[in-house]
Amino acid sequence: MHTLADPPTRRGRSWSDLEQFQAFIDSGGMVEPGDDMPLEYRDEVFRFIEFHANSELMGGLTERDWIPHAPGLRLKQVFLAKTQDEIGHAHLLYMVAADMGVKTRTEMLEQLFDGRSRFHNVFHYQAVTWADQVAISFLVDAAAFASQRAVFAECTYGPYKRVLKRIVAEEGFHMRHGEEMLLRLATGTTTQREMFQAALDRWWWPAVQLFGPDSPPGDTDPLIRWKIKSQRNEDLRRAYVQKYVPLLHGYGFKIPDSELHQDVEGVWRAGTIDWEPLKATMRQGGPDSKRRIATAATNWADTAWVRNALEVRE
Amino acid sequence: MTATFAESDLCVESAVRAAVAAVNDPEYPDVSVLDLGLLESLQVESVTEHGAESVIAHVGLIPTFSGCPALKMIADDVQQSVESLGSIDRCVVSWLAGPVWDSSRLSVDAQSRLAEEYTVVLRRKDGSLLCPVCGSDAVMDQAMVGPTRCRSVAWCPSCRNPVEVMR
Repeated sequence: MHTLADPPTRRGRSWSDLEQFQAFIDSGGMVEPGDDMPLEYRDEVFRFIEFHANSELMGGLTERDWIPHAPGLRLKQVFLAKTQDEIGHAHLLYMVAADMGVKTRTEMLEQLFDGRSRFHNVFHYQAVTWADQVAISFLVDAAAFASQRAVFAECTYGPYKRVLKRIVAEEGFHMRHGEEMLLRLATGTTTQREMFQAALDRWWWPAVQLFGPDSPPGDTDPLIRWKIKSQRNEDLRRAYVQKYVPLLHGYGFKIPDSELHQDVEGVWRAGTIDWEPLKATMRQGGPDSKRRIATAATNWADTAWVRNALEVRE
Repeated sequence: MTATFAESDLCVESAVRAAVAAVNDPEYPDVSVLDLGLLESLQVESVTEHGAESVIAHVGLIPTFSGCPALKMIADDVQQSVESLGSIDRCVVSWLAGPVWDSSRLSVDAQSRLAEEYTVVLRRKDGSLLCPVCGSDAVMDQAMVGPTRCRSVAWCPSCRNPVEVMR
C-alpha cells in the first residue's frame, strides 16, 4: 500500500529539462527534498510554503489576543489550543521551507517582522468585538480549510503534503468550534445577533477574498501546472459561496453583498470583487497590519535570550 | 434463565463498545477513540424511571491530557453514537480523573495508522525514534511541544521531513 509515509525513492532524481519534469508531475510523481528539482519549481513551492507559514504564525498571534477575552473557561481552553495549533503548524512549515535552501528560518522570521513578507489578507484587519472572532472562526477558518484541503489533494512536494495532512485534520477540528460559537450567538439575544451581523459585515469580503484573485487563465499558473494547487482560486471561492450563503441565511443573517443573487439554476452569484483595496492591504497597509507586525516583532525581540542561550549550548 | 440474561447484556455491551469505536478523534479524523485508548469503563444498566424501564449506558473515558480542547466534542460524539443504538435509551459519558493516559494505550492499528498516514510516531523503549517516512533512526528532537500538547516535534535529517512524536 502506498501511504504518505512511503516516499517513492530515497535516492535523488534529476530531470534534464522542465518538460521532462512536467511529465513526471503529470504522471503523479511526488518531489522529495533529495531530488535535483528545477529551481523554478523550488522557488515557487518555497514562496507558497513561506506564505502559508507566515499566515499560520500571524493567525496564531491573533487567536492569542482573544484568550483573556473568550467567554468562559471552555472557550479559553479552545483558544489556547487553537493558538498552540497555529504556532505549531507555523513551526513545521518553517522547518520544511528552511530545508529548501532558499532562506533560513531566521531570515524568514526577520523579514516577516520587518514588514517585508506577505501573509493572508485576513490578518491585516482588526477584530473589534468577540463576534468578530466568532466570524473569523466560522468564516475565515472555513475558507482557509477549503484552500488548504485543495492544496493537500494533490501537492507534489512530499514534506509539505505530509505536514498538510495533520494541518487539514486540525483545521477541520477548528471549524467545528467555529460552528459551535456561531450557534451560541445566532440563538442568543438580539444584542448578540446584532453583534454577529456587524462582524459579518466586516468579515464576509475578507473571507471570500482569502482565496486570492482569479487564477491566471489555463495552466499559466505554475502552482496549478506543478500540482501544488489542485483547484483554481475562483472555483474554490464559488464553492465556498454556495455553501456559506444558505448557511448564513438559514441563521437569519444578511450578507453584505448587494449584487448577490441566485441565477436561474439556483446557483449563488456573488458581486464583483474590487481587488485594489486588497492589494494595498497586502502591502501592509491594512487597518491592523502595523500593530500586528509590531506585536510579533516584539515577541521575537523578547525571546532573543532563549535563542542566544541555545546557541551557547551548541 | 439467568444465562440468557447475561448473554443479552454482553451483547448490548459489545454493541455499545462498537458504537464508541465508531467515533473518530476530531484531530485524527480516521482514527477511532477506542484505538486511541480513551475508553476506560463501560456499564449498561436497566432502571425504572417514572414507571418505565430505561436502558442506560455509562461510558467512562480518559483524556490524552487534561487540557485537551476536544473533550466536549468527543463526549458529544460518543453520546450521540451510543444513543443511536435502538437498545440504549440514554448514554452518560464521563471523563475520569484516572488512570492517566499514556501512549501504551494506543492499539497497534492506531500506531500504524498514525505513523503511515500522519507521520506521527511513538518513542521506542530506549528513548530513540524511528522515522516513519524513511525508517532512519537518526531522528532528532526539535521542540517539547508541537501543534498539540500531546505531541512533540522532531526532524529526520535522512529524508528531511518533520516528524511528530506522541508524548
